[in-house]
Amino acid sequence: MTATAQRPRLIRQDGREKVTGAGRYTADVVAAGQLHARFRYSDHARARILRIDTSRARELAGVLAIVTHEDVPDVLYGQMVKDRRLFAREEVRFDSDVIAAVAATTPEIAQAAAELIQVDYEPLEAVCDPELALEPGTPLIHERWASYEADETMERDGNVLGRSTIVRGDATAAMAGADVVVSSRYEADGAHGVPIEPRAVLAQWQGDRVTIWSSTQTPFAARSGVALTLGIPESHVRIIVPLLGGGFGSKCDFHFEAHVAALARKAGRPVRLVFSRREEFVAPDHRRESIAIELQTGARRDGTLVARRARLVLDAGAYCGEGGFFAQLAAMHAIGPYVIENVDIDSRLVYTNNQPSGSIRAPTAPQTCWAVEQHMDELAAALELDPVELRRRTLIEEGSESPTRQVFGPVGIRHTLERAAQMIGYGQPLPENEAIGVACGWWPSFGMPSGAYVKLNGDGTATIVTGAQENGSGAVMGLPLIAAQVLGMRPEDFSILCQDTDAGPYDSGSSGSQTTFNNGRAVAEAAGEVAQRLRELAAEQLEIDPLDLELAGGEVRVKGSPDRSVAISELAAADAEILGKGSGAVPEQPACSPDSGCLGRLGMESFLEPQLITHAVHVRVDPETGVVRVLRVAAAHDSGTIINPIGANGQVHGGVVMGIGQALTEGMALDGHGHQRNPHLLDYKLQTAADAPRIEIAWIETPAVNGGPNGSKGVGEPPSVPTPGAIANAIARATGRRVHRLPMTPERVWEAGR
Amino acid sequence: MKVEAILRINGVAVPVEIEPHWSLLRAVRDAVGLTGAKEGCDDSECGACMMLLDGEPVNSCSYLALQAQDREITTVEGLAAPGELSDLQSSFLEHGAVQCGFCTPGMLISATALLRRTQDPSEEEVRIALAGNLCRCTGYGAIVDAVLATAAGRAADSVP
Ligand code: FES
Ligand code: FES
Repeated sequence: MTATAQRPRLIRQDGREKVTGAGRYTADVVAAGQLHARFRYSDHARARILRIDTSRARELAGVLAIVTHEDVPDVLYGQMVKDRRLFAREEVRFDSDVIAAVAATTPEIAQAAAELIQVDYEPLEAVCDPELALEPGTPLIHERWASYEADETMERDGNVLGRSTIVRGDATAAMAGADVVVSSRYEADGAHGVPIEPRAVLAQWQGDRVTIWSSTQTPFAARSGVALTLGIPESHVRIIVPLLGGGFGSKCDFHFEAHVAALARKAGRPVRLVFSRREEFVAPDHRRESIAIELQTGARRDGTLVARRARLVLDAGAYCGEGGFFAQLAAMHAIGPYVIENVDIDSRLVYTNNQPSGSIRAPTAPQTCWAVEQHMDELAAALELDPVELRRRTLIEEGSESPTRQVFGPVGIRHTLERAAQMIGYGQPLPENEAIGVACGWWPSFGMPSGAYVKLNGDGTATIVTGAQENGSGAVMGLPLIAAQVLGMRPEDFSILCQDTDAGPYDSGSSGSQTTFNNGRAVAEAAGEVAQRLRELAAEQLEIDPLDLELAGGEVRVKGSPDRSVAISELAAADAEILGKGSGAVPEQPACSPDSGCLGRLGMESFLEPQLITHAVHVRVDPETGVVRVLRVAAAHDSGTIINPIGANGQVHGGVVMGIGQALTEGMALDGHGHQRNPHLLDYKLQTAADAPRIEIAWIETPAVNGGPNGSKGVGEPPSVPTPGAIANAIARATGRRVHRLPMTPERVWEAGR
Repeated sequence: MKVEAILRINGVAVPVEIEPHWSLLRAVRDAVGLTGAKEGCDDSECGACMMLLDGEPVNSCSYLALQAQDREITTVEGLAAPGELSDLQSSFLEHGAVQCGFCTPGMLISATALLRRTQDPSEEEVRIALAGNLCRCTGYGAIVDAVLATAAGRAADSVP
């Protein structure tokens, strides 16, 4: 492998409590006297609410509180468009809109009471097909959409929640002049994040302040959501995240914390909500969006991409949630890491009466990449070029200009291509029904504000106090590596205090693969302040200029004569307040100058320090049954410098296997009326240990110029981006037929081959 | 109506009051107070709730607590003495087999049972033995490696 193999292998600090069963997740936390919460969900995907009668439910013994829209301020929330209430008031817009919440002494009583709540509806025809939702005459999902408070640049219009276009040059003329033009249409079903921990929330009031334990990936967003919807100051809300049992995006944003807090306030007792697996599937406003993708690309004989036209329709579901930026992100993925001379991309995010979409690990990317990379292979076939050769000729490199005229710095995408092809043995003869497929993809880094403190303890150890959130990936657990390097201490010398909004400074949470990238810089800066103070103190003792001192081996010592030194523990014991704080300057978004036809610019028209990926997979297809088996995966990634190899490798292994699931088995089966038919793990199938292949990883470490500590980028989301596309290309090579719908289930593979 | 029962967990007899319909998982978590075993689905689909019953792995979410009376129950908390780690637990940490950790208790129970049955499992045998335990974080590779390394370590130790 690469030099990363020599870097320290960090044993994560939360590991011991996790392997002994001592660690507490939110559903393990108990408050004395706590009640159990259950929700009454909407019974329809779209209906007007005529009456809500809670009287019979209230009479049930053991029920202490029932909350509806009447018990909370009438406030709309949502990140880029405020379009949702905590509790539905006049209308329900998807089948798990919350109408009421119950707190009772047992979960069974709470459930029985929720069922006793009488709701009268006027059912309305549900709009569940996003392309249909665009047709004139289709009912509006939000009749008052125009009155909502919203980001100005979203290009909203009726059922169109967001629209983004990327236009450069004259795609029509270029297409007409191309040697070869291919057109394709692909459709990706919705999918789920499926953390193995179903979410849980526990709320407890002390006077007018509330403490909420929540399995959230974004505690600060949860805090603002509670404050906004309950009409209380943010400072009265404290969010604590116990161990988090995975998220993959599905636990980003504010969710059910305020519902539970409202119940606890009304009941005068702590209240805990624990989701069932079914609820974890259907109720959050987070699932991977379905997308219909139409692509047309024109090329010259030598492979030069002269034009791309793309039309994308994304299912936003019933509410904006935090996914308002999806149209633009999908538009960028419809281009991909390629040089294309003229483009005309139109991407629309559309309201329907389906479950709301929200960020799931690299939102919009795996599906769009799956379509674009199949399309590239189709183009290669039309040009009679090998698919790897076509990519070799068209991928971006340092100095390439994007369709929005961003000029790229060093990018290792071509290296990832060559490396993945080499690792998988591209071109080798294979048995019948087996084939290798390749796909390339990209994902931006997100520069965001983030803070941390580093506090030196009297015994010479230190504590990192951070607002960052550990979702399981190990990103926060890896922060000591960064601080240790700055301070010349060992990673084991650091403890971590995190996941408490009253303790650490702001951070945007475990989203956008941003923890190392942003909080890493904050920790490095905080540690730098401590190092500075230590040098000053040691300089006094050693009577030398601080500039002549270095920190190493737990000491501050004179450069060049290491025996003149003071132990850090000695300095720490003598000074009670050695504290560093850092926020790290947020890297600027790279300059770009999109043509005037570009609409819906939300800041993603250029990609900050893109992470670049090639996956090559070897599959076997059973032509009788359509069953696809992934035999091997070679994953080559340029995520800049790798700081914590064990953590980074873990992200690739997990992300690739998630990508295999999305490729082959994981899809929401919708009934066309807004209900999911497979909200359980028996029919929504994750990959198991017996299904998952061996995965080989190569890190192409092109140091990021404008990036995280030591030239790092993020690593968490990209691994799931190109896997489905690579599998699709392998299937097409093995069978001679393309599968145009994701997931590529045995039935769909078999049908395509008929 | 709650009934009284005695559950033998990790070598200790614990009197409990439980509803007759409670699963073993619920009894152990809510009545005994051992929360190491997790509920991921309550439907025998994820394996996060696994415990050993007389040495055999079961999904405790789908097993009635009352049926577990008179049987030896082992949860993740009982895999090593307090303050210690079993070789398997250490191996999980060394191999990066733990990310969010929610599947870990069940994985450790499954793997413990496997290594009792088979001293020298092949990779294929490990993968099949763990197929009832879903993990969303690790892609399984590190977990499989951790189990194989534990088996190899035991084999090396038993050489005279
Ligand atoms: S909780 Fe028992 S198998 Fe999932
Ligand atoms: S470590 Fe998270 S589910 Fe396995």
